[in-house]
Amino acid sequence: MKRFYLVGFALLLAFDSLNLVCFKMAGAHALPVEVSTAWLARVFAHPWIYGAVLGYIGAFVTWMSLLKHAPIGPAFAASHLEVVSVMALSWWLFAEPVRPTQIAGAIAIVAGIVCLAIAEGDEGADAHAVPA
Amino acid sequence: MHGLVLALWIANVLLDTAGQLAFKAAAGDERAGDGLARWRYMFARPWIWTGIACYVAEFVVWIAFLSLVPLSEGVLLGSINIVAIMIAGRLLFREKLSPLRVTGILLVAAGVAIVGAGS
Repeated sequence: MKRFYLVGFALLLAFDSLNLVCFKMAGAHALPVEVSTAWLARVFAHPWIYGAVLGYIGAFVTWMSLLKHAPIGPAFAASHLEVVSVMALSWWLFAEPVRPTQIAGAIAIVAGIVCLAIAEGDEGADAHAVPA
Repeated sequence: MHGLVLALWIANVLLDTAGQLAFKAAAGDERAGDGLARWRYMFARPWIWTGIACYVAEFVVWIAFLSLVPLSEGVLLGSINIVAIMIAGRLLFREKLSPLRVTGILLVAAGVAIVGAGS
């Protein structure tokens, strides 16, 4: 089960990041932003938008697979690791500044997910002791 | 907070919570089996479609919300959804809330709020 969650959340993070980076690139290529068919045509003329769509579909399939076993409360919280990866990627790929408070928030998110991972390990031990 | 902003925010929390619960109801059905058959089973039943409908509506509400409020405040308020879904999971699916789980979920929610407040 540990491996199931590890692979699942890693895949979810990868698809979410793909989605985000592709959206950013598609948006940048389609400037200026306007509510018009011409702008939509520009967005869909670039291959980036299809990467974003692939990211959406991949993330959906991964999420539905994770929820087969994962409880929704902790899983939804853990999916916010995306906030940290988005921050890291926007800093690394797009040279966007990261503020100290944002780093503090990121540390709290990672600490929370570590707690959830440890809690899940305990639950796993329980499950073995009392087969459902 | 402006009335419309508040209404959009409440709609966002409700749609996000309802959508995630619907996805969990679809994905957690043990009669669904495995592999491709599981997907056929899920798509033949209303829960997954309820989740998708909530997600689409939430997307529209979110865009409207962000047209009135800066993204950083949107992220800050989004941390409430984490707590709402934790409570809903407890009430509807009887998910165990051990002290370590609650601590983890609250830390993540606090972290998201701090990122939003500090952006």
